[in-house]
Amino acid sequence: MILRETAPLHELDEKQRAEAARLLENLERQVGSLKQEMLK
Amino acid sequence: MKCGDGIDARQVNELFINVDPIQAGGKLTGDAIKAIIAYGDGYSVCDNCRKPNRLDCIAKPPIAEFHKDVARWLNMDQARMMPGARRSFQAVTHTYVEKGDPVLLTSLSHYTEFLAIEVAHGTPYEIPADINHKITADAAAAKIEDVKKNSGKFPVLALIDHVDYQYGNLHDVAAIAKVAHQYDIPVLCNGAYTVGTMPVDGKALGVDFVVGSGHKSMASPAPSGVLATTEERAKDVFRTTSIVGDVTGRKFGIKEPEMMGCTLMGATLVGMMASFPHVKERVKHFDKELDNNRIVMEALLSIDGTSCLSEYPRKHTLTRVDTTNSFDRIAATHKKKGFYFSSALNDNGIFGIIPGATRIWKFNTYGMTQKQAQYLADAFVSVATENGLSINP
Repeated sequence: MILRETAPLHELDEKQRAEAARLLENLERQVGSLKQEMLK
Repeated sequence: MKCGDGIDARQVNELFINVDPIQAGGKLTGDAIKAIIAYGDGYSVCDNCRKPNRLDCIAKPPIAEFHKDVARWLNMDQARMMPGARRSFQAVTHTYVEKGDPVLLTSLSHYTEFLAIEVAHGTPYEIPADINHKITADAAAAKIEDVKKNSGKFPVLALIDHVDYQYGNLHDVAAIAKVAHQYDIPVLCNGAYTVGTMPVDGKALGVDFVVGSGHKSMASPAPSGVLATTEERAKDVFRTTSIVGDVTGRKFGIKEPEMMGCTLMGATLVGMMASFPHVKERVKHFDKELDNNRIVMEALLSIDGTSCLSEYPRKHTLTRVDTTNSFDRIAATHKKKGFYFSSALNDNGIFGIIPGATRIWKFNTYGMTQKQAQYLADAFVSVATENGLSINP
């Protein structure tokens, strides 16, 4: 949704940057879990 | 990224500011996007369908509660989710209109309202808009009398747009409904552009039906919509089946014929449900949407030769402008002809203006941030100055 709210320039303010960082960390964690579960 | 053979992943709303008049209010929330993935399988919402075996009665996911919530939110008594506003029109015309019956709509009505009358074999009569492109109660009264005089019958139903799709003008539905009710004509308020974008109170409008469009104005996937009504009219439109099989003697419980049994299902329904809390909240802030529209309109009107064809100041974000004496003048000599305008906007990250349109066109600022509204305003001015148009301070 951040991409939608910031189109077309995608210049993120501090709050949006923090939210993006949180989402990407979550995503990395989920990818890690999937790797563990599916490739064990 | 591809979704399948020859199907590109769509990224319009991620890469552009989308001002397409019919798309702005239907952009999904993050929750709706998740719901579509989770409930995309065909009969996904039917896992826990129990007696009385009708989709709008399912408790898990909370579909039954959602239906009650939507009815309350619109200040009506009952609601059903539908595959689009047009199917709501159809259910109502099919219930009330018989062959040759006159039906009232307006000179600004959407074509699907005409088709809903056609499939019911009714005859449409349009209330003419006034010089300001508004439908008035006086014009409605005059038309009703006119219909009676010419056809010998009073209209059996009136379909009135809350905000019309052509000018985005807000019409006095309450006053029109009052007039129609004096003739015992039930009134359907077409809120395709208002239900989900701004507050709508069916009882305050005094109408018998409120119709909304999920994909136009409720941040929902297509096709989706809502038909809400009063207890009195629910008995007609949401009547239950009485049919019996001649060989088997089968009956079909509380299925509703006008709904073809079960109503909107699967990803579309759960998408609507997922967006609903956000939609309920956003309608409370419609003033901010109008502020954003004002930013864009002031910029457009500063371009010499540009005028607003919609009522002004704006009461809705869907707006029709005339740039025949501004952007269209450039089209006459530009190597891209009229396509230069949408092309320049695309280059600036703006999507949704009909390619080639430089005379009369529409846009919708709904759902954008103030920063995006300012960006859009600046882009219009920038395209104008780059092409030698004058800007009025």
